[in-house]
Amino acid sequence: MFALALIASSMSVRAADVESGQSKSQPCAGCHGADGNATITGTPSLAGHPAYYTHWQLLMFRNEKRRDPQMTPMATNLSDDDMADLAAYYAAQPSRPRQGRPTMDAATRETGERLTATHHCTSCHGPGLMGQQAVPRLVGQDQAYLLKRLRGYKTETTSDLEGQMTMAAQPLTMDDIEMLAKYIASLPSE
Amino acid sequence: MTTPHRDTLGRALFVALVAGVIVGAGVTSLFAQQPPPTWKQGQPDVMKESALAPVPQPPAPLAAEKIPLNKIKVPPGFTVELWASGISNARAMTLGSKGTMFVSSRVVGNVYALVDKGGTREVKVIAKGLDIPNGVAFRDGALYVAAQNRILKYEGIEDKLDNPGEPVVVIDSLPKHQPHGWKYLAFGPDGKLYFNIGAPGNIVMPPETNANISRINADGTGFEYVARGVRNSVGFDWHPVTKELYFTNHGRDWLGEDVPNDTLHHVSGRNVPHFGYPYCHQGDILDPDFGQGHACSEFNPPLLKLGPHVAPIGMIFYTGNMFPPQYKNRIFIAERGSWNRTQKLGYGVTTVTLAMGQPPVQEGFASGWLENNQPWGRPAYLFQMPDGSLLVSDDYAGAIYRISYSR
Repeated sequence: MFALALIASSMSVRAADVESGQSKSQPCAGCHGADGNATITGTPSLAGHPAYYTHWQLLMFRNEKRRDPQMTPMATNLSDDDMADLAAYYAAQPSRPRQGRPTMDAATRETGERLTATHHCTSCHGPGLMGQQAVPRLVGQDQAYLLKRLRGYKTETTSDLEGQMTMAAQPLTMDDIEMLAKYIASLPSE
Repeated sequence: MTTPHRDTLGRALFVALVAGVIVGAGVTSLFAQQPPPTWKQGQPDVMKESALAPVPQPPAPLAAEKIPLNKIKVPPGFTVELWASGISNARAMTLGSKGTMFVSSRVVGNVYALVDKGGTREVKVIAKGLDIPNGVAFRDGALYVAAQNRILKYEGIEDKLDNPGEPVVVIDSLPKHQPHGWKYLAFGPDGKLYFNIGAPGNIVMPPETNANISRINADGTGFEYVARGVRNSVGFDWHPVTKELYFTNHGRDWLGEDVPNDTLHHVSGRNVPHFGYPYCHQGDILDPDFGQGHACSEFNPPLLKLGPHVAPIGMIFYTGNMFPPQYKNRIFIAERGSWNRTQKLGYGVTTVTLAMGQPPVQEGFASGWLENNQPWGRPAYLFQMPDGSLLVSDDYAGAIYRISYSR
C-alpha cells in the first residue's frame, strides 16, 4: 500500500490530485511563480521538491511550528487534502535555474565540495542534493533563501521537523554558511 | 511562555556533546569530518552502504475509511474497533476527570483534546507549535505537558478547551537535545512527576544529566534521578501491587540486525540502578568503543530482552476486569517497530507476564500493522479505559484503536 522506496511520493489520505493542486496554487503563483519556479530574491522555488517535504512545510506553517509573516496566513485555511494536492502539483513541476544565480568559481567549488562532504549533506538530501521524502531539494534554490534558512538553523530561530538541520548547522561558521549558500545556488539545476 | 527558552546549561551541554562526538570519532582537526545526521551516528564503516534509514513520518493522518482495521489480528474473543482518527502523529494518552481524552504528539507539535459528541469523538487542537510535546499527564484538573526541555501545566483545562490560555511553566531547565529529546510523563504512586531524559544521540557518552529516568515534585522542585544508564525510555508504569517502576528501553542502532535487544527494566529498592548505557547493552554485550575497560557485570541487567529493533514505547500494567483473568497485572507493550533492521520487527502489541520465582514470559497480542515488510501504521502508546478496554494509539496513521473483550 505504501511505497517506502526513495522516490518522491505523497502518502496522503487519498491519491493527491495534481490537477486540483494546480488550480489551488493560483494564490501562490504571485510569489512562487505559476509553476513553482520563483523569481523574487529571497522567495524559494517549490518546483521539483519531494511532495512529502512541501506538504510538511505547509503543515508546519499551519501548526505554527514554522512561522513566516507571509506564509502563516496562507496556510491557516488549507485542509490536509489541499496541502497534499499542492505538494503533488509542485513535485511534478520541472525545476528551472534561478535567474541571476551566482557563478561557480574554483574557490567556491573547492570549499563547497569540502563543506558538503564533511557535513554529510548528501546523507539526507541525496547524492545530487535533489531531496527525498521529507527532505528538501537544494539544487536550483535561491541563494538568499538558502542563506536565510541556514542562518535560521544555526541561530535556532527556525524550526525543522526533527531538529536534524538545527544540529547540522551548529558546527558551521557564518562564513561556511555564506560559502555553502553560494555553492549550492550555483550548482547546475537539472 | 511562547518563546523558546535558551538555557545556558543546555547550550553548554550541547557544545560539549558535539565536541565529545568529534573527539570520540578520533578526529581533532577543524577541517575533518563533522558529526553525521543523528540517525547515522555510530554507523561503522562496514555498514556505510546500508540503505536503512528512519521511516519518514507521513504529513497527514490516514482517513478513517482507509484504515485497514481488518488487518489487525488479536487473540480469540477480542475485537478491534476504530476509536478515533484524524489525529496527526497521535502518541501518549491521558484521561481528564471530566472524561476528556488528551493526546500528545511528537514531531507535529500539537496537543489534542478528544471530546465525546454523542458517539463520535471531536478532535480539538488545544496547543500547537510545541517542541516534541510527547508527554501528557493529568492531575487535579490540570494537564501537564512535557515538551523537550520543559514541563508545562494547563490549569483547569477541561473547562476551557477552546481557550486554554498560556500554560504555567513547571520546569524549563531540563537538558535540551533533539535526539531522544521526547519524553514520557506520568505521575507515580508517590505523587511525583516521572519522565525520561534520553541519551542525546545513538551511541554517545551522555553528559551526567542524560540517559536516565528522573522525577520532580508536581511544583517543579526536588529533581532526582531514578534510574541511570538508560539510553532512551519513552514508556513506563508501576506494578499495581508492589508499586515498583517498570520501563521499556530502546537499544542502540548500527550494531547489527539482531543486536542489541530492546529491553524491559525493573527498578526496586532505594538505590539508583545503572543499566549499562553506553558501556554495556542488553545486560551482556559490551559496546565496541565505550565498553573497553568495562565489564557488563558492573551494571544492572534488564529484566527481559524484548527483541532487537522492535521499538517498545508505551507500556501499562493491565488492571481491568474486562479482559480474561489471566491478563490481570500483565504488562502490555506497544512496539512501534524497526527501521534499523532489514526484516522489520515489532509494529504490534506484546505482553509480558511476571510470575514470582519464574522468568518473565513474553507473548504477542496484536499484530498486523506491518505488511510485506512495510508499515501502514505504528502502535505507540496504550491506555486502559475505565471500562477495562484497551486503547492503542498509532502515530503513523494518526488513529486510536479500542480493543475490547467479550465471551
